[in-house]
Amino acid sequence: MAKDIIAEPDLQFTKDLIAAGGGDLKKCYQCATCSVACKVAPDNNPFPRKEMIWAQWGLKDKLLNDPDIWLCHQCNDCSTMCPRGANPGDALKAVRKMVIQNNAKPAFFGKLVGESSMFVLALGIPAVVVLLILLISGFSFPEGAVVYSAHHLSPKDGFIYLPLVQVIFTAALVFSVVSLVMSLKSYWTSLESNNPIPVGSARKGFIPSLLEALSEILPHTTFKECEANNIRYSAHLLTFWGMIGLLVTTTIVAFNVDILGLLPPSQNGPGTIPIKILGNVSAIAFVIGLGIMLFRRLNVPDQAGGSSYFDWFFLLIICVTGVTGVLTEILRLAGMVGGAYVLYAIHLVFVLSLLLYLPFSKFAHLGYRTVAIAWAKSAGRNIMLPTQPKCVNAPTMEA
Amino acid sequence: MDHKIGVYIDTGYGIGEALDIEALSSVATSEFKATVCRADSYWSDPEKLAIIRNDIATEGLTAVIIAGPSSRVFQKEFTFENIITERINLREHVVWCHPANDEDTQMLAEDYMRMGITKTSKYEDRPSFTEPQEKSVLVIGGGVTGLTASLGAAGAGYQVYLVEKEPKLGGWLNKFSKVFTGKPPYDQLVDSPIQEKIKAVESNDKIRVFLGSRVFSISGAPGMFDVIIRPDGPWIEELDEIQNRWLAEKKARENKGTEEPEPAQTSQEEAAKLPPVPETLDFDHQQVAVGSVVLAAGWRPEEPSGLEKFGYGSYPDVITNIQMEELAAKGKLVRPSDGKEVNTIAFVEMVDDQIEHPWLYNSAVGSLVALKQAHYLRKSNPNGKAYIFYENMRAPGQYEKFYRSLQDDPGVFMSKGTPVAVTNGGSSLTVELKDTLLGEALKVKADLVVLSTGMVPVTKDSSVLNLKYRQGPFLPENPYGFNDSHFICFPYETQRTGIYTAGCVKGPQDILSCETDAMGAALKAIQCAELVSQGKAVHPRAGDESFPQIFTQRCTQCKRCTEECPFGAYDEKPDGTPLPNPSRCRRCAICMGSCPERIISFRDHSVDMIGSIVKSIEVPDEYAEKPRVVVFICENDALPAIDMAGINRLTYSSYVRFIPLRCLGNINMVWIADALSKGIDGIMLIGCKYGDDYQCHFVKGSELAEYRMSKISETLARLVLEPERIRVHQLAIDEYSTVPKLIDDFVETLSGFDPNPYKGF
Repeated sequence: MAKDIIAEPDLQFTKDLIAAGGGDLKKCYQCATCSVACKVAPDNNPFPRKEMIWAQWGLKDKLLNDPDIWLCHQCNDCSTMCPRGANPGDALKAVRKMVIQNNAKPAFFGKLVGESSMFVLALGIPAVVVLLILLISGFSFPEGAVVYSAHHLSPKDGFIYLPLVQVIFTAALVFSVVSLVMSLKSYWTSLESNNPIPVGSARKGFIPSLLEALSEILPHTTFKECEANNIRYSAHLLTFWGMIGLLVTTTIVAFNVDILGLLPPSQNGPGTIPIKILGNVSAIAFVIGLGIMLFRRLNVPDQAGGSSYFDWFFLLIICVTGVTGVLTEILRLAGMVGGAYVLYAIHLVFVLSLLLYLPFSKFAHLGYRTVAIAWAKSAGRNIMLPTQPKCVNAPTMEA
Repeated sequence: MDHKIGVYIDTGYGIGEALDIEALSSVATSEFKATVCRADSYWSDPEKLAIIRNDIATEGLTAVIIAGPSSRVFQKEFTFENIITERINLREHVVWCHPANDEDTQMLAEDYMRMGITKTSKYEDRPSFTEPQEKSVLVIGGGVTGLTASLGAAGAGYQVYLVEKEPKLGGWLNKFSKVFTGKPPYDQLVDSPIQEKIKAVESNDKIRVFLGSRVFSISGAPGMFDVIIRPDGPWIEELDEIQNRWLAEKKARENKGTEEPEPAQTSQEEAAKLPPVPETLDFDHQQVAVGSVVLAAGWRPEEPSGLEKFGYGSYPDVITNIQMEELAAKGKLVRPSDGKEVNTIAFVEMVDDQIEHPWLYNSAVGSLVALKQAHYLRKSNPNGKAYIFYENMRAPGQYEKFYRSLQDDPGVFMSKGTPVAVTNGGSSLTVELKDTLLGEALKVKADLVVLSTGMVPVTKDSSVLNLKYRQGPFLPENPYGFNDSHFICFPYETQRTGIYTAGCVKGPQDILSCETDAMGAALKAIQCAELVSQGKAVHPRAGDESFPQIFTQRCTQCKRCTEECPFGAYDEKPDGTPLPNPSRCRRCAICMGSCPERIISFRDHSVDMIGSIVKSIEVPDEYAEKPRVVVFICENDALPAIDMAGINRLTYSSYVRFIPLRCLGNINMVWIADALSKGIDGIMLIGCKYGDDYQCHFVKGSELAEYRMSKISETLARLVLEPERIRVHQLAIDEYSTVPKLIDDFVETLSGFDPNPYKGF
């Protein structure tokens, strides 16, 4: 690292961090209880102590290029043990938000998602898009059994015109993925240039590092180390794999329907039962996981940490997506046709939000965290727990 | 003189069960012919006390001896008007730490009975010293401390003379922009309250203020000080120079040799180098008589010489925290160099790592001032940035709340850090630091750099008091330059009785502490004047009415007493004999130990008395195989430690006999000789810790004892005895658990020698 730094504290950045949920960060007096308490901090140059003083000092460049903030899984051990109530867990979370917002491409979306004043517009855009699709689809509920997708507009053979949905949603997805990849690429580059690897250290390539990171992320190995708040590990694991299950379901169904020309599973027979099971189980896991997280956020704020607008926005879209998805199915099965259609429309609004805001909302952590962990792996920064306990007996004073 | 003694043996507390009370009583009645001897339980009960009072009235007792619990308990109960009261500790020193119904325990109790009665019979009837009657208070220094002390003493009804060297009152507070409130929520600053205090002092008719004046001299003693006040002028510098040179020479001489100075040779020359009290005061002056003195002369900023390497002097925008106060008092914060508004200030706590005690003059005040001044900037400029670099951030007590409020301010950046350099960074200055909390060397840009400076007591430059004492014009100071008479135990005392320090002259303090301190010192000054007018000693032997008397006819003018008195109580007569000032005396009796002629005595403490006590111990002959050990023990800390050992039922050899002394510095060689020639096998001296962290109530008593004992080998050689028979120990009050080992080890050592051959002579 650079021999010495010229500190030009960015007062505004500190204020932004405080506004973004790090409200107590100035209280830190650098006792390092947090770094000792943290189960996942590397032994060498651990977090979050150093991040706390950078945050107090408004050292924007340091924080925005600090991969360690993503090694934190916010179990909040540090916050509960902090003798000063500085809540390092929340401070790191605020920094993560700033990283997402700062790397947002286009930058406007970062603001759109990150600022509460933009809430109406942020939800308004996907709502208007879905309304437009509905208008084009001919705003009416088809007779008989519930058929969501219309393949033809006249005669209209379903609720909503599918090709339009496909085009718009795919476009949104492509936009998101491209944006996220660009953001992550620039993030990686800035990690590289701001965290020079000591000369002589072995350096791993990107792909092996990424694979190593994924092998840790998929089973939530590091997350599990956060003992104090273990239930969050389970909740996140449920949500995570529920999401993946739903993604797989959607992909298979889309493939079946669009490529093979089969009917969607809701209108189909026993042949699609495995897909149905996968979808339903995933949805239940997803909703239960979210429910636990939501419950704890509301009822055990000490452990769950403070909740900022940024958190709530993401939770809102992801929870409403999940809940409307499940409810739509329940109403359909209960034969409440009108209700099912309305909820389906709402569901689409939130699915679109989820897709569109993937790189700008808290959702983006799936990308940033993966990249940061991969960077840490590639730079040889040890985030796995050593097999020996961190505290070894102090050498005795007997000479 | 002959006393009619009543002995009251307490059989409670297990004493009656452990000892043969009848045999003990017969020591008092048969050996010593005590007028009355009664044994009963719990003499401190009111109905039992009535029996004693009745005996006093009917038998005409002049002395009462209570043989029971420690003298540290029931002091109030066992006080009888105009009757000498002596206590024999049969509880903590006998039955609680030695086996019951044991021959040796019984012998111990009987010896204590002999020692106690012997001591009592040696009491002399002498009047107390009530000559000093003046009760007004001199306050030196018109800053916040001096003003508060003046108001306190005047408020209690005492005449106050307040001397201030500046032409107006108020001191440093006149220069300070804002001060802490001392009120919840402790996170705000207020205007300095000094003007109200000044008005209160000026309108108080009990306070006479001398502005633009200094103390020319103080002579006399508590209750009868003679103070000459003289308008400020060049004379003070001349006087300081002479006196400082004298002090420097004295220190150099003391540091040169570890040998005790030869007082007779040096003291006369030393005194000659000081200006004498002029016989005629041919200058403008005022003369007042006071009872006691509050020294609130305050502080000055540490010399900024060490600050040069941080650009002080070369850059106009590098200033001290004092200059920052002046800058802030003017209103808007602008740079001294170009008058531009200040946006960024770096407050740097100065650490001179080249000197031994870089923290001497800093304390918490430096931290608080930096916090306060950062607050000035943040209040006046919402976009302002204040860096505070500290070595130790100290905000004691409620100041923590102020610290926290600033810590929460996003525009205040704090870090530990050692300043390296301040350089010109173009439009602003660049401060370079190492060892910061950011883990790296750090550079910051600042419009203004504020260096904190230490607070040096003005007594470092000047005597201020200009005492006309035999031991010189200065208050003795500790190795760090602060006036001291054991700060922890006696925070207001100095080593000059009747002179009490308060405020920053004692060490860096904040305003609120100064105010509290001022009140304490004012009360101390009043207490002193009142006590000496009643002929009583002040702290730590408050109430003691005895005082040293010298049989001058036999004085050899060796001047040991005048030199060794830690409180400078003795002046000198023209013939070289000591001139006692009883109201300056703390009654430690160190002079009694110092006198080779043994001519200094107190009415209830004398060389003869202790010698007689030693001689009253019954020493069994050498065939009895019962060695005897006499322990001369300091009654302030060591003796209570022995009591605590008893309370904790720690057991140790019953061959030891404790003889309490006012201070181990009382120790006189003759007692050692007395004991050894009597057949005592070993002698221990137990006193307080000495050295830098001394615990001696009288500053250097235990050290002097150790020094005197190092000279004892001659005596031992003359008697053909082993030097190991004498041992000196330092014992702190909390070390009571080591008492058994201390004593048993010594008795064990003695068992390696033959019995003292002088037994039976």
